[in-house]
Amino acid sequence: MTDRRLGWLLLSPALLLLGALTVYPALWVIWLSLQYRVPVFGIARWAGVSHYAFLTVDSRFWNAAAVTGLFTVASVALESILGLGMALALRGQQRGRRVAVALLLLAWALPSVVTAKMFEWLYHPAGGLVNFVLGHRAINWLGDPALALPSLILADVWRTTPFVALLCYARLLTIPADLYEAAEVDGAAGVQAFARITWPLVRPILLVALLFRTLDALRAFDIMFVLTGGGPAGSTETLTVYAYRALFQTLQVGFGSAIGVVVFVLVMLVAVIYLRLIDRQESAA
Amino acid sequence: MALRPARAALLLLGLLLALSPAGCGRTPPGAGPITLVFKHAKILGPADPVPGLLRRFEAEHPGVRVQAESLTWSSDEQHQFYVINLEGGSPPFDVMMLDVIWVPEFARAGWILDLTDRVPAAERDAHFASAIEPATQDGRLWALPWFMNVGLLYYRKDLLAKYGLDPPESYDALTRQVRLIQAGERDPQLDGYLWQGKQYEGGIVNVLEALWANGTRVIDERGHPFPEPERAEEALAALRGLIESGVSPAWVTAADEELTRRPFGDGRAIFLRGWPYALDLFELPDSRVRGRVGVAPMPRLAHGPVGAAATGGAHLAVSARTRHAELATALVRFLTSEEAQRAMTEGAALRPSRPALYRDPRLVARDPTLPALLPLIQRGHPRPITPYYLMLSTTLQPEFSAVLVGRKSPARAIRDGIAQVRHLEQALGH
Amino acid sequence: MRGGRLRDALVLLALALYATPFFWQALTSVRPDAELLPLASLLPSRLTGVHYQAVFAKSLMPRALLNSLGVAVISTALAVGLGALAGYALARLPVPGRGPILLAMIAATAFPQIATVSPLYLLMRALGLRDTWLALILANASFALPLVIWLLAGFIREIPCALEEAAATDGADRIAILRWVVLPLVAPGAASAALLAFLFSWNEFLFAYSFTATEASRTVPVALALFPGVFEVPWGDIAAASLLASLPPVLIVVAFQRYLVRGLLAGALRE
Repeated sequence: MTDRRLGWLLLSPALLLLGALTVYPALWVIWLSLQYRVPVFGIARWAGVSHYAFLTVDSRFWNAAAVTGLFTVASVALESILGLGMALALRGQQRGRRVAVALLLLAWALPSVVTAKMFEWLYHPAGGLVNFVLGHRAINWLGDPALALPSLILADVWRTTPFVALLCYARLLTIPADLYEAAEVDGAAGVQAFARITWPLVRPILLVALLFRTLDALRAFDIMFVLTGGGPAGSTETLTVYAYRALFQTLQVGFGSAIGVVVFVLVMLVAVIYLRLIDRQESAA
Repeated sequence: MALRPARAALLLLGLLLALSPAGCGRTPPGAGPITLVFKHAKILGPADPVPGLLRRFEAEHPGVRVQAESLTWSSDEQHQFYVINLEGGSPPFDVMMLDVIWVPEFARAGWILDLTDRVPAAERDAHFASAIEPATQDGRLWALPWFMNVGLLYYRKDLLAKYGLDPPESYDALTRQVRLIQAGERDPQLDGYLWQGKQYEGGIVNVLEALWANGTRVIDERGHPFPEPERAEEALAALRGLIESGVSPAWVTAADEELTRRPFGDGRAIFLRGWPYALDLFELPDSRVRGRVGVAPMPRLAHGPVGAAATGGAHLAVSARTRHAELATALVRFLTSEEAQRAMTEGAALRPSRPALYRDPRLVARDPTLPALLPLIQRGHPRPITPYYLMLSTTLQPEFSAVLVGRKSPARAIRDGIAQVRHLEQALGH
Repeated sequence: MRGGRLRDALVLLALALYATPFFWQALTSVRPDAELLPLASLLPSRLTGVHYQAVFAKSLMPRALLNSLGVAVISTALAVGLGALAGYALARLPVPGRGPILLAMIAATAFPQIATVSPLYLLMRALGLRDTWLALILANASFALPLVIWLLAGFIREIPCALEEAAATDGADRIAILRWVVLPLVAPGAASAALLAFLFSWNEFLFAYSFTATEASRTVPVALALFPGVFEVPWGDIAAASLLASLPPVLIVVAFQRYLVRGLLAGALRE
């Protein structure tokens, strides 16, 4: 057997599975989004772009888009700052590194449904730790439309900051110590050393982490679906939650697919930016 | 040798293929005696009468065994369970308990058996009309009512008597009474009127009642949403007004039945909108409001009638794919019979769907409130009877919820709601 | 280095504080019901096992743990098995279109589940696979596969070609080389990929929530999200169930940290 044929033989099972369960659905969803589909009642008719046309005037869609945008921007920004800070704090760690990394990664590794349930309990008006620590307040964190989104963002930041921290930490460990020593000789220490050495070296990896987190934040579903269900009054309803509700609650497979396609396009736009970035880094290297 | 990883993967796949259909809970095809599988939600109350009733049915039908399997508690999950099992499959059950709002949907989907010619007209007419109507679709009968629910205005008899007041017939009167009593009692713990404003089916029920109380509907006979938008806006504004004026605490916008039933049961509210089951709990020996609770018809708004309450409850239907249609129908008829409903009313905190039982001396002796409930149920409305009810409800829930918490104006929510429902109807081909 | 030691301890303390939500849930799972609502003191007066008993005796959790474990193990095996073959082909063999395929793999790791859940649901329905393990295994394996292929192709490329060339001059064919030279060397990398695939499947919620209906296939996240409460939310039982759901991730973070970190970094840096 030639290497070429063997190559295809080895690749084919994986490509077959991906073709059937990733590529085909990704194309099918576009087709579905152009139809009226209500499987329960056997409805399957051509809709053209009418779902997309409705989305342009659908206030619930624009609300969900705004919530998704706010959620993404706020949580990614907070994660970047906190993650970098954590990495800087961890850099000098001599003892207990394993324990430190374990404590850090714990939040990241837990199922997001567990995180949602944990925070639901932490935020509980009467039984939650948060109100207890604030001095026996009775704040309804998840029930108040003004507080629900910030509370949700905080839970997501808790869950995903460790990812950013780990990436930055790994980069920091590769910076040779003599760079700092040389800088010290030049009279640069503290903030100056950070600005001259650390920041330029960490920035590319932070950018990568940021893009990854943006992709994940745009796709996020579990945490808001379980923590708030999109409520109260739609104040935490993201595009993914709206799509799910259209698909499985009002059973409009065509319309729900159209919202899914919008998420898909948004995510792919960010992914393309990311691929370009890798490309540039590779060609620069 | 060389392909071992691939072979191992194949083996694993084979293993899992052998494992996965073994999902438990499926009934083996009856070899000897016929087994009927009956799916129902857990029956709450002092004593579960269902097992006894099933044994009696078995005694009357030798060679038949009824296997009762319980559904999960949440209504959404029950619905999902049915949809997944009924859609295009052969469901592992014969008789099922359905929330009344699903009956037209299941009928249109072809999942349940047409009972029209299997149930004598007299037997059908022995139930409340408001329970039979929603079980009728395209002129055919698809399910029989098992028990009945109706929205009630609970009030504190002792407090109203103390201030010389009668139960309020309108929301304006209710508001005045709350102000008067709160001013007199000077108890910051005492709330005015509790109801269910959370974004869920129960919240929709509260909004529908307000629409009816203002003489309008969510959808007309031809399926047009909000035929009188101004009246619908007034109704929503009235509910929001209850919160803004402090008659209802802000947390009712996140409250379901139990979250409101508890404070009222602890004596911390003057009025409560609830279902009849709460009455049994208020009259328990250790209840703090025992003997101090009255029930009245739901109040009205400017343009509607008093007592515009929603009816609800559970129905029993037969799976269209059952292999024992005769026996399964017999079981449904038996469980909805006068005799069985009497047992259900005695043993569980449920109300029968047969008006005659509300005057039954034995039942009235046990529960003196039954006769008073009868006119309240007779005045009740079923929710819109359409196969698309659940779609309609879940589509409108966020709009109503946004008004109740103050994120949207009533006018805006009605406008957005109309656009949403029209889009839905486009999909349905209306 | 006194100062260094103090600093280390402070950082550890800060990280322990960061993990408070988890420890609080652990404490809730052994706190008596009477002390849950309202919360009167940080520490419970006594510890109790009733919540764990309730979870094991009355909930879907035991069955869900079995489902989750089965689905996660099999889908991980499937993803790593297929991923190793594909990764080797992409790393070492002259496959035409290698570049675009690798690019497509990266793009596929970014696919949002919400976009494929509706066609997959219709597919599973047409194949009669709703509410089975197989539906979840196929969905989870295919979702994890692009990352696994990417990681393994990278790890295989790191193996010096000289070893394989030496084996080839000894007369071994490609498949023998893959089995006896490459596989042992890439095992640590495969472990990293497997851990990530396992975590993905264990934590996965959207597919499991949409494709399952009964205890035949409900996984842990679904059972937890739908944890039943009749009149009250059983916070203590939910905490106990959360702890059970967290066991595999905690074990992985503690015992297999090195592999996990390696996989995470390789997956993110894509070098």
